[in-house]
Amino acid sequence: MAEPERPQPLRDLDRRLKRLRAEEDGGARAAAERGRGLSLAVRIGAELVAALVVGVGIGLLLDSWLGTAPWLLVVFFVLGAAAGMLNVYRVMERMNRTVGDATGKRPEAERNGER
Amino acid sequence: MASAEHHGPLSQFEIKTLLPIHLGEADISFTNSSLMMVIALIGITLFLLLGARRRALVPGRWQSMVELSYEFIVGLLRDTVGPDGRRYFPFVFTLFMFVLFGNMLGMIPYSFTFTSHIVVTFALAAVVFVGVTILGFVKHGVRFFAFFVPPGISVALWPLMIPIEIISYLSRPISLSVRLFANMLAGHTLLKVFAGFVPVLGAAGVVPLAFVAALSGLELLIAFLQAYVFAILTCLYINDALHLH
Amino acid sequence: MPQLEQVGTFLSQLVWLFLTFGILYIVMKRSALPRISQILATRQERIDGDLRRADEIKTEAESVLAAYEAAAARARAEAQDILRDSAERFAAEAAEKNEALGRRLAEEAAAGEARIGAAREQAMADVEAIAAELAGLAAERLTGAPTDRSSAEAAVAQVVGGRG
Repeated sequence: MAEPERPQPLRDLDRRLKRLRAEEDGGARAAAERGRGLSLAVRIGAELVAALVVGVGIGLLLDSWLGTAPWLLVVFFVLGAAAGMLNVYRVMERMNRTVGDATGKRPEAERNGER
Repeated sequence: MASAEHHGPLSQFEIKTLLPIHLGEADISFTNSSLMMVIALIGITLFLLLGARRRALVPGRWQSMVELSYEFIVGLLRDTVGPDGRRYFPFVFTLFMFVLFGNMLGMIPYSFTFTSHIVVTFALAAVVFVGVTILGFVKHGVRFFAFFVPPGISVALWPLMIPIEIISYLSRPISLSVRLFANMLAGHTLLKVFAGFVPVLGAAGVVPLAFVAALSGLELLIAFLQAYVFAILTCLYINDALHLH
Repeated sequence: MPQLEQVGTFLSQLVWLFLTFGILYIVMKRSALPRISQILATRQERIDGDLRRADEIKTEAESVLAAYEAAAARARAEAQDILRDSAERFAAEAAEKNEALGRRLAEEAAAGEARIGAAREQAMADVEAIAAELAGLAAERLTGAPTDRSSAEAAVAQVVGGRG
């Protein structure tokens, strides 16, 4: 008649409640993490070309205003290429950080801070 | 698709006037592009409002999709900008849905992809660029210029680095718009070219047909991915404007 | 490429873009997004509330269980007390009754013995009287003269006493 253990149903309830709380906190984010790496890879080409286009554009514009053709075009072509490299570097840097995020360290802290 | 063959794969991008409207000198006719924009507007509105109309505590499939799209962008803003990104949620959400529906609706045969036009994508990117730049100046005033000075670099290199940073900053709307435009243009052109082979080859047309089917799957992925990239870059730019480096 | 050739359509594209995008933004901000956020908030509240209630019920169940166990233990202890008490009481009562019975029996036995003793003495006295009378009568018959009663009794007593 006398049993110090909790009865079976009560222990089950305990376990189920704990699991539900864990799901509430964790689940939604996991899906978003997956797509990110792919989207970053897609960006790289356009980042490089766009900076080059802007550099060349500025060069041509300044040359036609100041009559310095073709020197500013050359200068800004180089600057544009450098800016494109910088853009790509930043995308890569961000990709590294995202891969780091996937282990769940940073988002965990953010989430805790927010709630 | 047979007609595409006669006019070439690029004819699908032609703007056709459906209802001529002239405001003085200005031509603001209702075109096939305008039609798809209106369809996207109505489609998004119906998708969200009808999906959410029952306000079910336990959502059905449709309501789940509505909630998923909402929480997707909420999560995107939270992860990239943080708690103070909440204010820009309606804009980012609208942008994402508009681009997504524009890309997806263009997949339907004989329809039109308004995001395959550089004017449209550049206008959207310019809105983001101008808006974010204004946001930066409102938040930080003149200190926003510090954004162009990379931290931890000696003053001797400033004359080199500041123009590079400015070019990099100015390249944002270009890369944003060109990426979306080029992806939509290339994907849809490729699709049309291969679809054009199907009737010509007769029985052997099964081969390009299978290829078109596979390509359509890839295009669906790209349609989503490009909308996602547009949204996440907008979030990153907002984050830069709010928090500088 | 129509994208770059149809420059005349640029204005129309921009106008319709800003028109549709603007309307969409207003619809999203005013109607659709608040509705979805309300649905999600309601659900979150409900889930939190349910989990909280389940927790409360669980704690309650645990306290009820503890109370039940305490009550059961108390009842068991009480029952044992009662059992012990009544056993003691029964034993005491039985011992008391036993003792009373023994006492009564002893008293009755003593009374019986006394009665028997008295009866024997009475009987002995009676025997002496009868013997004296018989002796007197026998002497009368033999002598023909009335005998003194007291001398007969003395003679009997002498005989009985000599024997006894």
